[in-house]
Amino acid sequence: MQSVEQGTEVFRALADPTRRALLDRLFSQDGQTLNELCQNFPEMTRFGVMKHLSVLAEADLVLTARQGRTKRHYLNPVPIEQVANRWISKYAARFTSALVALDDQVIAGSETEESRRPESA
Amino acid sequence: MSLNTHVYQIYIAASPEQVWAAITESEWTRRYFHTTSFVEPPQRGKVYRTVRADGRPAIDGVIEEMQPPIAGNPGRFVQTWHILYDAALEQEPPGRVEWTVENAGEGLTRVRLVHGDLGQSPLTWQNVKDGWVWILDSMKTLLETGNPLPRVRDYEDVVEAARS
Repeated sequence: MQSVEQGTEVFRALADPTRRALLDRLFSQDGQTLNELCQNFPEMTRFGVMKHLSVLAEADLVLTARQGRTKRHYLNPVPIEQVANRWISKYAARFTSALVALDDQVIAGSETEESRRPESA
Repeated sequence: MSLNTHVYQIYIAASPEQVWAAITESEWTRRYFHTTSFVEPPQRGKVYRTVRADGRPAIDGVIEEMQPPIAGNPGRFVQTWHILYDAALEQEPPGRVEWTVENAGEGLTRVRLVHGDLGQSPLTWQNVKDGWVWILDSMKTLLETGNPLPRVRDYEDVVEAARS
């Protein structure tokens, strides 16, 4: 819930395939009610879906807002962005720079063959 | 009907008063919010307009609520949100942006942002979806470290990214 603990909560929430499926459902259609979400998981009890939603809510990945008498569920992308910034960018950046260094070496080694550097994507 | 609203929440290691200033005062907004500032200080019930550093218009609307966080009560800043930074988005009806700023204990402030009334504004819905994540992240970074996120993103980048 808080900055320090958030990473742990987010990873825990994302570790379960049903919870990832719930997030995917909200990603494609944000603002669903519990009933609407339950329809996507006919094999699961309403209580089971609620339990998964509460784990997602603890990790701040799902927020609820009332619209009149209806309670709707929203995907909050902020914690995922923070986890990505903290964990993924760091290592991906290193991986990318290693690849660039390798690419430079390959090109330096093949300069005499007049090979062309591939177009960047 | 459900593609009507975005909801976000972030925790910031700053006081509710500091976060409130970051949302409502130009000295702060221009540092993390695509360089935008309020032309006049926002006032409850009045129209407002924000512009970019080069003077081009960004947003206008009406301040519907402006209740600073006082004595443990959450702060509320509610503004209608009519986009001026893009010709296509400008044609869509205004949405409503609601900020709620609340003490979350342990030196943290919880910021909840609801951007609603977007049911008739599908382009805006798509455009602001990821943009708000960046704004909130940048505001948090500014308040916690004294500097905004290093990459300066302008509205053109956001509009471009949402269309690709």
